[in-house]
Amino acid sequence: MSTHEPGADLDPGMTGFDLVREGARRDGVEIVHYAPKFPVPGTRRERRIERTIASMFLLAGAAATAFVVIYIVLPVGYSPGYNSHKWMTPLLGLTLGLTLLGIGMAIITWQKKLFPDEIAVQSRHDQIPNEAERTLTGATMLNMVEELGIKRRPLLRRAALAGLAPVGILAAAPIIGGLLKDPHHPDILFHTGFAGATKDNPIRLVRDDGSPIRPEEVSVGGQMTAYPGIPDGSSVKYADSSALLIRLRADDALTLQVNLHSRGNEGRMAGDLVAYSKICTHAGCPASLYEQQTNRLLCPCHQSQFLITNNAEPIFGPATRKLPMLPISVDDEGYVVAVSDYTEPVGPGFWERP
Amino acid sequence: MFSRFGPARRPPSRLRRRLAAGARLVAALTLVGGLYTAFAPAAVAEDSSGLSPAAQQGKGYFDQTCASCHGSNAQGVPGKGPSLIGVGSAAVEFQVGSGRMPLAGQAAQAEKKKALYNLDQARDIGAYIEAVGGGPQIPEGDDLHSKGDAARGGELFRVNCAACHQFAAAGGALSSGKFAPAIAATDREIYGAMLSGPQNMPVFGDNQLTPQDKADIIAYIQNLRSDQDPGGWGIGRLGPVPEALVIFLVGLVALIFATLWIAGKS
Amino acid sequence: MKRRKVDVAALPAATARQIDDRFQVATPLRRMFNKVFPDHWSFLLGEIALYSFIVLLLTGTFIALFFDPSAKEVEYSGSYTPLKGVVMSQAYNTALNISFDVRGGLVMRQMHHWAALLFMAAIIVHMFRVFFTGAFRKPREANWIVGVSLFWLGFLEGFCGYGLPDDALSGTGLRIASAITLSIPVVGTWVTTSLFGGEFPGDVILDRMYIAHVLLVPAIILGLITVHMALLVKQKHTQWPGPGRTNHNVVGVRMFPGFAAKGGGFFMIVFSVIAFLGGLFQINPIWLFGPYKASVVSAASQPDWYVMFLDGSTRLMPAWELRWHMFGHGYTLPPILWPTVVLPGILTVLPLFYPFIEARFTRDKTAHHLLQRPRDVPTRSALGAMAITFYMVLFLSGGNDVIADKFNISLNATTWFGRIGILVLPPLAYYVTHRICLGLQQHDREVLVHGIETGILRRSVDGRFYEVHQPLAAADDHGHAELDYAGWVVPKKMNRVGALMPSVRGFFRPIEQPPGQPTEAPVSPAPDREEIGTGTRQR
Repeated sequence: MSTHEPGADLDPGMTGFDLVREGARRDGVEIVHYAPKFPVPGTRRERRIERTIASMFLLAGAAATAFVVIYIVLPVGYSPGYNSHKWMTPLLGLTLGLTLLGIGMAIITWQKKLFPDEIAVQSRHDQIPNEAERTLTGATMLNMVEELGIKRRPLLRRAALAGLAPVGILAAAPIIGGLLKDPHHPDILFHTGFAGATKDNPIRLVRDDGSPIRPEEVSVGGQMTAYPGIPDGSSVKYADSSALLIRLRADDALTLQVNLHSRGNEGRMAGDLVAYSKICTHAGCPASLYEQQTNRLLCPCHQSQFLITNNAEPIFGPATRKLPMLPISVDDEGYVVAVSDYTEPVGPGFWERP
Repeated sequence: MFSRFGPARRPPSRLRRRLAAGARLVAALTLVGGLYTAFAPAAVAEDSSGLSPAAQQGKGYFDQTCASCHGSNAQGVPGKGPSLIGVGSAAVEFQVGSGRMPLAGQAAQAEKKKALYNLDQARDIGAYIEAVGGGPQIPEGDDLHSKGDAARGGELFRVNCAACHQFAAAGGALSSGKFAPAIAATDREIYGAMLSGPQNMPVFGDNQLTPQDKADIIAYIQNLRSDQDPGGWGIGRLGPVPEALVIFLVGLVALIFATLWIAGKS
Repeated sequence: MKRRKVDVAALPAATARQIDDRFQVATPLRRMFNKVFPDHWSFLLGEIALYSFIVLLLTGTFIALFFDPSAKEVEYSGSYTPLKGVVMSQAYNTALNISFDVRGGLVMRQMHHWAALLFMAAIIVHMFRVFFTGAFRKPREANWIVGVSLFWLGFLEGFCGYGLPDDALSGTGLRIASAITLSIPVVGTWVTTSLFGGEFPGDVILDRMYIAHVLLVPAIILGLITVHMALLVKQKHTQWPGPGRTNHNVVGVRMFPGFAAKGGGFFMIVFSVIAFLGGLFQINPIWLFGPYKASVVSAASQPDWYVMFLDGSTRLMPAWELRWHMFGHGYTLPPILWPTVVLPGILTVLPLFYPFIEARFTRDKTAHHLLQRPRDVPTRSALGAMAITFYMVLFLSGGNDVIADKFNISLNATTWFGRIGILVLPPLAYYVTHRICLGLQQHDREVLVHGIETGILRRSVDGRFYEVHQPLAAADDHGHAELDYAGWVVPKKMNRVGALMPSVRGFFRPIEQPPGQPTEAPVSPAPDREEIGTGTRQR
């Protein structure tokens, strides 16, 4: 923007700050106020500020040294209770923080207290649109299009379109194709680890160590998390399978028995035992906060509440569907078994869900 | 708000009036019970035949304080208090020993408070209830955790307890004003709670969680309680909510003060 | 041959000359040195986000040296005894090792997490500053869009990081994320199985999130930050109105030495605050959560704060589900769709287009480089307050279980408070803010016309009491001055116009100016090139 010839226009008499201001002017910056904080060097106030800044740097150095010492000396690892293992992180954070704080405050104090006061004004003239420039650039761009001759050469235009469009698909294909996975083959949305269980060929309910469960092992007014008794049944491989096995008190069991038919759940309890899917029908968290007096089941993620004595119908919160009931029975050896998979999809809703 | 293992939660002031009313009710009932005992000594002598000395003591307390709601023979009073037949001494020791019973007033659930009866008296009442209807008992001794394996207890804790009591046993909310308290309890209290399933807590009988399982869980909880946080102040071990408070109230506030200082004229 | 002497003092100049011979950087470099930045505390909020991001890169690189995002099952054998022998994923195992068995690993992990929270918090307050002062107006709409995109990218980046350690809280978050993608109409199930490589959780999601967390998203964020900065440099910073400040200039200090020193110092301070937080406040204690199991959950399961508002909206959502039958099959739109897919969609699109929407309504097509005080644009400020209130209700609802538990409120009551509050409070905030803005405007005008209230009460001859006002300009017979509002702070206390004693703005309160130094207007009104020296220069 400057009309000066390189190096020719500088007044050879200019030195020091004159050059600085000349440079700023050429950048559209006018330094309108520039005054040293301490016109008379070496005053007591100035020296006091210097000492303050110096002490901040020294503090940073001391804290950094302490950091390294702590890093080397304190033991790593875990030991129960209150001990030096537990002090490593707080002390490292403290010393690192002090180090950085010392440096930061020193720099800023230096800038605030010792740098000259300055007010500079920069013009925004380069932010004003220039019509002539626009015309020139516009003409250049039009010329580029013109040279291509797209308008005059319809064959090339069509061929380029037809030829290049699939290239975009080519780029997308491996990403989509590599990731794409069919949710319906195998049909994971409608089946769990209990799939294949029948009356004649039931699947046992087991604890997470794989041991089967007898009805009397669930306390009255108690609950137990149960998994399908298949290989890896309690692992995350069968994340949707877990059931909450609840043994209701006699009168509550009676209430539920009466309500069963209203949701097509008849015959799915085993005595006072009932098994609901543990996976919340809202967002899939394990709804496992069982209140044994009020017979509510609460999900801690979004506070949906289900009424155990009424087929685990939702009674509060965002959940819309009841928790599926696992049809259970007791086998010949006296263990709790599932006689069928859940009869409806487990967990959160989705588009294809009836 | 972040005292993880603080004393029993302080009731909010709006409940104070209700609590006072409850206290008056308890006092009145105590008085009635006392009068009853005074005027019907023959009945007491008759019923207590065959009771151990501790149970006889306990029966005295029971008749005085508990019978008004739970019935003179612990059979329960419809609409007032449940039957205590079969609950065992574990339930009594937990409820009375932690001050949850006698009830202070009508609230969503009984809260831990200063106990009316000391532990020995609570155990006496427990012995009486045990004699009347039987039921589960807490094993002897105050130390029920040393034989436990904390790592195994941790796994059991996470699958059985953490859902309500929270991963660090700092407590959590249940429906409609009920809550699972922060576990700041003795070994016996924890054991008693698992065994008896107080209030809305599910029961974990010895068939379901063996005494060894319970010892493991208690070992995990007590280790948790006595463990210093390795990462500095635990801010209540409540998860991301207090972390959100800290980043705004400590981190961002400190830095906004820094910006004021930096941009301020010197 | 005689050995040439190296003149050390001339070395920098010689090097500079050699460099400029080759690259001709003298002009652009000086232009950068001389770039003027205006000085106001609120202009530093965005810097907090920038510096947090640098800390994130530094600490993240350290953590990555020890972290393995594998879902392979291993038995824990590290030093944290309460998990000894527990079967867990390799990801959780290595995250535990970083916490306990890598020297300084825990402080790095915690700094990384705090820096992430700070990054997002700083983005939000920076965004508020830009919004309420109208800094997003033409010509800066593009930079506003980049900023909004940076928020959502930070959101995604943070969520991936939250999920990586594979602890119980991570897994619960992922589980909910899978429920969210499942709820998308028509393609939801396909998207979910494609993301997770099959059924939730599968064994590829950690690897995929890892590559997104350490490469894809940070690269995009870095690119957008570069664009954000480049546009800032090109368009120059906005400034507050004030003496000598116009729409055609920037008044402040030059990049070097003043502004750069402040920036460097501030970086150190931001870094130090993160270090203090990382050492003194425990964050995300994964060893307490335990490994993720699909059947295990804890009370108080929350996401990090910047996701919490979506958790809140999900909690408040009533149990409304759309179900219908067509072509012999039933279809469902689950309730989680609205608060976690539709709402964020609106919250992304609406802010992106806000600058254009506002310009359309105000029919404003000019370029603005001067900021507006929030009171002077009551409608925008009220809209902003409404948005903040909306956000706050959702945010608090995201932690309503903890609030209910710690303050002894019924959990169901807190949900209802949120449901009603989300409808009632934002309009209320709009109305109140609008009134406050108008009131403040009116007071400014009043002071300009009548002068400053001095606090001196006089009694006139007819017995009436009145307060003496100090006019701000030469007043007419009625004591009224004709002063135009200049869009900047109107002095409302006598001290601000130099009564009592000359004062300088200090940190908390005005500091007495040392005697002997004359007071000076912030900008000397001297646009012409007059001579000002350093004072040390020889004449």
